[in-house]
Amino acid sequence: MVDTAPAYRYVQERLGVDLKAVDAAAELASFGVDSLSLLELVFEIEEKFSVKLDEDTPPPRSCGELVALIERLAATKP
Amino acid sequence: MPRRVAVTGVGMVSPLGATAQASFDALLAGRSGLRLHAPAEAPKPLSLPAGVCADFDPATLFGRARAGTLDRYSQLGIAAGQEAWRDAGLEQSPGEDRESWGVAWGTGVGGALVFERGYRDLFIGGRERLPPLTVVQAMNNACASHLAIQFGLGGSCATYSVACASAAMAIGEAFHRVRSGAAPVMLAGGSEAPLAYGVIRAWLALQVLAPGDAESAALACKPFQRERAGLVLAEGGGALVLEDWARAEQRGARIYAELAGYGESCDHGNLVRPSSEGQARALRAALADAAMAPQEVDYVNAHATGTREGDTIEIAALAAVFGAHAAQVAVSATKSAHGHTLGAAGALAAAITVLGLHHGAVPATLGEAAALDPECAGVTHVTGAARRGAQLRAALTNAFAFGGSNAVLAFRARATD
Repeated sequence: MVDTAPAYRYVQERLGVDLKAVDAAAELASFGVDSLSLLELVFEIEEKFSVKLDEDTPPPRSCGELVALIERLAATKP
Repeated sequence: MPRRVAVTGVGMVSPLGATAQASFDALLAGRSGLRLHAPAEAPKPLSLPAGVCADFDPATLFGRARAGTLDRYSQLGIAAGQEAWRDAGLEQSPGEDRESWGVAWGTGVGGALVFERGYRDLFIGGRERLPPLTVVQAMNNACASHLAIQFGLGGSCATYSVACASAAMAIGEAFHRVRSGAAPVMLAGGSEAPLAYGVIRAWLALQVLAPGDAESAALACKPFQRERAGLVLAEGGGALVLEDWARAEQRGARIYAELAGYGESCDHGNLVRPSSEGQARALRAALADAAMAPQEVDYVNAHATGTREGDTIEIAALAAVFGAHAAQVAVSATKSAHGHTLGAAGALAAAITVLGLHHGAVPATLGEAAALDPECAGVTHVTGAARRGAQLRAALTNAFAFGGSNAVLAFRARATD
């Protein structure tokens, strides 16, 4: 499993949100994330794990879903 | 009776301040916004005098998420545009039909910082993919489109990229659009964020940048002075709300000044060497468009960037157009304080000049009168301290571009309606 710290650090820098401290149900939109910034967010997280998500992967809507995505990507890497 | 065009909103972000008022106050106080700057992530050490908008905080203004989707030139431009829009009191009337209202914007290098980051990632970082917003962040019309979306403007949304005349041409074209009746309101201006490492290196190669160290950087730009040694690159944004005069009066808007004329020309001679004949054609065209006699003009915000040749050629153009009146015309080069914002330069000049007409103030060229170059004589240079309590009737702003395109805007003070 690869280190997830860079992904969490990126989210912290990019959105000013500590994903581990915030309510999992909190909508990313409440931190100003719109469809454009969500594209960038997912792209940068993909880059952290050197993967490309399937196009039919639903984008995360909440902080909890973003955490789940990061953990899932980390777990799939050797 | 032809339509008149009112300036009802002003916005500006500059190295002097993060708002129009802060920038204008600092300018009148004789402060310099220039300092020694070292671009981040430079592969080779580099520092030079530059104008950085240090007071500008995009994360607070837009929120971190949105700020991260915008190139800095768009951040600066949206900030200036929304300040002008609020200043004009146009945020309070949602639901109004704005399908003919528009945006006219100017930028020279557009999203250079985003492109540079992308190239660095590809060529040095070894990445294979670029962030998905790279194109829409970096494109030269991104800022204009964001402004149109934000304010729901459904008419013309155009971006003018004419080097250092970009924003002046955008304002001029928007002015004609309002005067012709095509649009009752236009948001017009420009923005630039040229302090990318590669852009700076390109300007250094052209050998037109003023040298300086930490101590001398603040006064490194010396327009009209004997020891002038080049321009100082700067970032910034400026915006005006242009509005049909009758409409503005009807809604009780504050009218800062009248935009009365716009003139343009092309030197058609040389890409980098300006021509006083070409500049004079633009000056005369602006005066004719405004039905303004040369004797009405009390102030010219000069293009004067501080280059050896450019400043004297501009004075020659003013002398040719104003004749005997030239000696009475107050002239200043505010780039000495805020630097040269390239494609945004015409917008900063317009915002400063409109505020000057409104407040009866003429900003100064930083530096001492004794340092003026005799070859730049023939006009009344305002140096050292700003002139306050001035009775200004009309003022011009000059924007002269590499490539030979010239744009002049002619403003009248509100009192002369």
